[in-house]
Amino acid sequence: MLLLCSRAVHRCRRAYHSYDHPKSAGPFNAAEEAILAAAYRQVPEHGFTDAALAIGAREAGYLDISTNLLSDGAFSLIQWHLVQQREALAARKAALFADDSSDPSAVAARVEALTWERLLGNTDVMGRWQEALAVMAQPSYIPESVKELAMLADEILFLAGDVAVDPTWYTKRASLSTIYAAAELYMTTDHSPGYFDTRNFLRRRLGEANEFGSAAHAIRQWVGFTASAGLNMLRSKGMRI
Amino acid sequence: MTAIPLRYLSSGSPALTSSTASTSHPNGSNPTSGTRRLKPLAASQRAFLSSALRVNQAGELAATLIYTAQTPHVVAREPHLRPLMQHMYDQEAAHLSTFNALIARHRVRPTALYPVWSVLATGLGWSTALMGREAAMACTEAVETEIGGHYNSQIRALLEMVSGWEAEGYDVGDELRDLIRTLRRIRDEELEHLDHAVQHDAQKAEPHWLLTGVIRAGCRGAIWVSERV
Repeated sequence: MLLLCSRAVHRCRRAYHSYDHPKSAGPFNAAEEAILAAAYRQVPEHGFTDAALAIGAREAGYLDISTNLLSDGAFSLIQWHLVQQREALAARKAALFADDSSDPSAVAARVEALTWERLLGNTDVMGRWQEALAVMAQPSYIPESVKELAMLADEILFLAGDVAVDPTWYTKRASLSTIYAAAELYMTTDHSPGYFDTRNFLRRRLGEANEFGSAAHAIRQWVGFTASAGLNMLRSKGMRI
Repeated sequence: MTAIPLRYLSSGSPALTSSTASTSHPNGSNPTSGTRRLKPLAASQRAFLSSALRVNQAGELAATLIYTAQTPHVVAREPHLRPLMQHMYDQEAAHLSTFNALIARHRVRPTALYPVWSVLATGLGWSTALMGREAAMACTEAVETEIGGHYNSQIRALLEMVSGWEAEGYDVGDELRDLIRTLRRIRDEELEHLDHAVQHDAQKAEPHWLLTGVIRAGCRGAIWVSERV
């Protein structure tokens, strides 16, 4: 049953993105949004906790008990942060890339800039982010957390103008998710000014992934070329294949 | 025998007759006027659209690979078929790039079995071409028969979606109209390949019933899987 529900959610979220039609409702309803938005302001002080949720509910004009609306409790607050930050990326894209040319050679640089931008979105709650990561790693929240991570990777690659729809679609998203998660964890213990070390960490990891990707591409090309050359040679010898 | 009636079946249905009929809006609403009211896509509609684009991309990928594998053999035996093979390949390649662009634009996940379809399609093209021109054409006939029916059922579902919105008083966006128009054009081109195949002795392949039966069953299975994975 749980599996079915999560599959249904997965399907409706990862499906066809329309430009004409208005967006379908998000994961939170109006009351939940009001509570979460107020509670989120308490996070630097109270952390991603039920206490922050209770204060938020009171501030939004609801009773403390109304936090029961949010069946996942503190995890809803984390989810709120993740969704807000992910959706904010699209707006920040315009500021990041002045020229709107979708030059394919710039995709890697755009991915790096967007990933860094997303990481900076955690700075306000950085003191509490290790706790949040611990909550996200709880078994019952792992599917939702992983899904959100996958959606972030998809968003970054889409905004960066990546239009590959072959098997690299999967490998790019998988490697970006891994790199983002690693950089996020690294950032929680980074005390360098302006998260300088995290920036370099991110740059190195993305560089490695790109190198690996181009090596794999080169190998595929070589195999394809050799195979067709071999086939043509056999044909030139009169073999009917 | 099974191949030819399909075209008449499909275009005989009033909903599918001409592309000009679909583009004129019954309410006469002008897309450029600012008062457009579109209904948000339901989860099931989005799921349908994404699986439709996914399976179409997989199908066109397979088609380009089939023709790529067939062309050297067919042309080596009968050089006069070169322009026909080239023409069919060019159309399939254009279809593939159309769906690649749509998939990227609408953020649909491509099929996870991309490498599997590549291998199977190349193998199918290569083996039928080895069996001779008739078998290669029978392969085209079988594939295009299934694909024509498949596109027709997609167009039908989209038209149902559109008429549902119109019945509820909503407008229909250009995005969906363009998609229907594109699918119709591609459907017609696929059925044109079917006619070419039949003209070039597809039905003289031995044994025709077995060859087309197996390939059509394979196509249906591949469509079923690609809609899901």
